[in-house]
Amino acid sequence: MKKTTFTLAGTVLVSAALGLLGPTASADDAPAISSQKRNYLEEQPAVRHRLLLVAKRLEMTALFESTINADFRHFIGGGLKLEYHLSDMFSIGVIGVGSTALDTKLTKRIIESPLEPNVDNQTREPSVEEFRQRLNSMPLHGAAYASLTPWYGKLAAFGQAYVNFDFYFQAGVSFASLKSDCNPSICNDPMPGVDPAPADPMVNADDNPNNDPPLNSGFRPGLYLGGGIHVFVNDFIAIDLAVRDYAFSDNPSGADFNADLAVKDDDSRFLHHLFAGVGVSVMLPFKVKRTR
Amino acid sequence: MRRPNLRSSTVAATVAAIAFCSLAAIPGDAQAQPDDEIEMEGEDGAPPPVDEGEIEMEGEEEKNLEADLGAESDTVKIDTTSRELKPVSWQDIVVVMRKPFLKIRRTDLMPFLSTTMNDNMIRHYSAGGQFNYFLTDVLAVGVEGQYYTKQFREPFDLVGRQARRLPTINKYNFSAALNFHYVPVYGKFAILDKKLVAWETYFTAGVGVTQSEVVPRDPRFPGFTNLLITPNIGASMRFFLFQWLTVNVGIRDYIFVDKFEPLLRDQMNNTTAEAAKANADSTLINNLMFQIGVSFWIPPTFEYTTFR
Repeated sequence: MKKTTFTLAGTVLVSAALGLLGPTASADDAPAISSQKRNYLEEQPAVRHRLLLVAKRLEMTALFESTINADFRHFIGGGLKLEYHLSDMFSIGVIGVGSTALDTKLTKRIIESPLEPNVDNQTREPSVEEFRQRLNSMPLHGAAYASLTPWYGKLAAFGQAYVNFDFYFQAGVSFASLKSDCNPSICNDPMPGVDPAPADPMVNADDNPNNDPPLNSGFRPGLYLGGGIHVFVNDFIAIDLAVRDYAFSDNPSGADFNADLAVKDDDSRFLHHLFAGVGVSVMLPFKVKRTR
Repeated sequence: MRRPNLRSSTVAATVAAIAFCSLAAIPGDAQAQPDDEIEMEGEDGAPPPVDEGEIEMEGEEEKNLEADLGAESDTVKIDTTSRELKPVSWQDIVVVMRKPFLKIRRTDLMPFLSTTMNDNMIRHYSAGGQFNYFLTDVLAVGVEGQYYTKQFREPFDLVGRQARRLPTINKYNFSAALNFHYVPVYGKFAILDKKLVAWETYFTAGVGVTQSEVVPRDPRFPGFTNLLITPNIGASMRFFLFQWLTVNVGIRDYIFVDKFEPLLRDQMNNTTAEAAKANADSTLINNLMFQIGVSFWIPPTFEYTTFR
């Protein structure tokens, strides 16, 4: 009996000891394991073994650009973009584009409406040359910018082609060199909107904006916004599709905008010049790194 | 049966009570057990498998299945469980993640807004809706309708004020179309290296009608309306935010031959709307619209089917 009692007590004690030690050990381990399980993915990067297609690389892009929905003249041209990617997400760059000008359909329709074939200062209607020569062109424009690339990913086209891509957004300063070639025989008003002889009541301002210089040429600084997508053909070549907005003060028609019967500087206003671009980017160095 | 010894029973009961208290007095122990059950790992006392370390493939030089299977010593070092090793082949491994969003036999209700992209005289804004049913995961058929409002752009006034010309333009009132959608491109991207978002590109082709209305150059004369057969083509992107909601952006080209007010219209010619319409000038128009919309999917959830 006594032996049985001690055996029972010993069993219970051992059980209690196991209850104290065993479960305690499990209690120490279980939260650790479960916390590892819960936090495992949270601590991991969204994408592993990712190709760092832009980080620490110099991007050289030969590009083609054209205006979108221009009013009087389309600007179409080619240029170069140089961009250094400080990291996988941030970069700085410059872009320069040389352009030629093409009349829009609106301009053609106005000219063919038809306008007066010859200058007639007795009418308010411009002649063909007065209208055409006042329009400006944009031989050169560009920007310096900082760029953010917040999105990158992969896409599959028709279940066959798997390519990397990224979206980027840019902001910075822009510039444009504007040019208008108004012949002095057309734009011959030396003092637009100004009475040449205030003391003489018989002489007044001509109130004819059609013979005023257009005042829409020269260097124009402004702001720049852009956004686009890189589609990587391989590790170091990408197709670059972008929409860029060069915003600066301009008066594209070179005519009297504010209806004060003279063309002055206050006829220029801050305008957005929207371009669509396509280019081929080469990333240097050619070799690409991977994330862990 | 003999009566139990009271003294012995008391000792045993006391020890048992101490043991019970020792168990009950440690809350952590009592809480740890359910956690183990929830995790459903090591229920039989076996340690959790260490496969996770293998999934990372850190520092892996080259993927060589034969080398992996042949490296028995390495396998023994890593795998501390007693489970049986089974040879695998690359064919058994599905390397493409399952598509996070299925559209087959689901309906897409999409209210959207759009605006003109290629008219420098008049800009239209429209509010509309689409109703698309996906026959497969990449092919859908649907209908759409839009109501337009207009806004004259800067050149509309400039042409009159500077060039002394009155523009001939039409505005659009409404349109409707039957469309087919095809999804050839899909992908995923990471936002700020944190969150993955799936997206796809789809093309649209359809045919419908558009009502345009002449904006008379001289308000003394009445305008007229035209009901125009309107094919359309477009490309759009769809971003999957939830199982029941996506965001869509796209470009659509509505193509039609519009009828404009005749150039010769005065008190002697084309005075009435009928006469002006009979002598209207026809022009092919590409009305390019940028669209953005939100799609609500019905049913709001889907049952995933594994593609192999």
